[in-house]
Amino acid sequence: MSANRSPRVFLAYTGEKARIVRAYDYLILVLALFLFIGSFHLHFALTVGDWDFWVDWKDRQWWPLVTPLIGITFPAAVQAVLWTNFRLPLGATLCVACLSIGTWITRIFAYHYWNYFPINMVLPSTMMPSALFLDAILMMSNSLTVTAIFGGSGFALLFFPSNWPIFAMFHLPIEAGNSQLTLADMFGFQYIRTGMPEYLRIIERGTLRTYGQVATPLAAFCSALFCTLMYALWWHIGLWFATTRYLKKI
Amino acid sequence: MATTTEKISEQMRLITQQGKMPPWYLKDLYRYLSAFAVLTVIYIGFRIYQGEFAVSTGLDSTDPVFETYWMRLFNFNVTFVTLFAGLSWGYLWFSRDKNLDTLEPKEEIRRYFTLTMWISVYTFAVYWAGSYFAEQDNSWHQVSVRDTPFTANHIIEFYFNFPMYVILGGCAWLYARTRLPLYAKGISLPLTLAVFGPFMILVSVGFNEWGHTFWYREEFFAAPIHWGFVIGVWFAHGVGGILLQGVTRLIELLDELEEAA
Repeated sequence: MSANRSPRVFLAYTGEKARIVRAYDYLILVLALFLFIGSFHLHFALTVGDWDFWVDWKDRQWWPLVTPLIGITFPAAVQAVLWTNFRLPLGATLCVACLSIGTWITRIFAYHYWNYFPINMVLPSTMMPSALFLDAILMMSNSLTVTAIFGGSGFALLFFPSNWPIFAMFHLPIEAGNSQLTLADMFGFQYIRTGMPEYLRIIERGTLRTYGQVATPLAAFCSALFCTLMYALWWHIGLWFATTRYLKKI
Repeated sequence: MATTTEKISEQMRLITQQGKMPPWYLKDLYRYLSAFAVLTVIYIGFRIYQGEFAVSTGLDSTDPVFETYWMRLFNFNVTFVTLFAGLSWGYLWFSRDKNLDTLEPKEEIRRYFTLTMWISVYTFAVYWAGSYFAEQDNSWHQVSVRDTPFTANHIIEFYFNFPMYVILGGCAWLYARTRLPLYAKGISLPLTLAVFGPFMILVSVGFNEWGHTFWYREEFFAAPIHWGFVIGVWFAHGVGGILLQGVTRLIELLDELEEAA
């Protein structure tokens, strides 16, 4: 705990006061851990969860666009509070690490052990490199504008290359039933999802198939633009919620 | 030599004393850890129950065993959370401090620690409701066909987990309102947002289930009828404001404390 006070009046605590402050820090750490696992995970799962749950949803057109777009929201809001008030450059990494912990626990115990989905079918994506980059840009620039433009863009652009080593193998072509499909598609056909008819997957729509693999960088740059705007929006949402007002009545 | 021995003995006595009893500002530490332990046992117990009985008895709501294994659990959950809300909120209100004007700085610091513990236990319940059991709901919907709003996961998620974190959030709000001077003089906006916003998630169950009367399947989890939950959880960011209010006040209180070793 060290508030953003003027260096002129701030003196480091010693003795019992230092121990009190350190104990408070630990309490806040535990609180923040569960808060952001619970809240960020719910926000993420109910807005772009499907792309993260299932390997066959991890396409080139939507997944690299929507996941960073929602993934940058909580990091921006938490950075606004932790950096502005405490000079802690870890808001994004904290949120994304919490999200990773929450998703991994659920994929293993709720999907794999309860309902027997293969763990490879429900591997979560990672945004850790993106989050580290975002925190580093904020720390070095100390600027909302610079972080929104360069950090936000980098957050989106790093997403696909960070995940490609994990998921590339599931995009290998295979032949089944006289059709060419990917290994990821095969998972979808083999493990029937009772609530999700195949035709309802929101992946790779459109007619211009000659774009080929260029669809991915196009989606990533589109996401970079949106992330720039989303970052600034959520920075202000974070500040708005972190009000210190007391009301007379509610 | 004797002096050195005495010093060591004194140090050992202090360490032993510290090992047995937490310092004054962490007076409620063991209660705090106990709350985590009890909640963990409850939530893991629910998960084990689901693993044992969901597939064998929870797939068809017209089957008589569904009534036995799941609707009884639903009735128990609703009864339990109603009683728990009344008891916990009632206790906090009726045991309130009526002499807050004479509160010593040391005691106020201790109460800020206890408030932080209350909020921490609240966020632990938010974890189980917002992370584990929430996403597990998607997993269950993809291996079963929904024929009732009271599925094997909804009975735990909507009728125990959601009310439980609402109750614990209410406890944190009431604790602050009844035991800390600043929160008693004015109503903390961020604390109110952080408690009442996620409360709206519970209310959103109505919107969600109403929507599912049109679309009984969970075609995809990111469906707009689920976004009511999303907006509710944004209010968790009010915790940033609670932190700022707490830190600001703690610095003032620490300045009033005399230096101790």
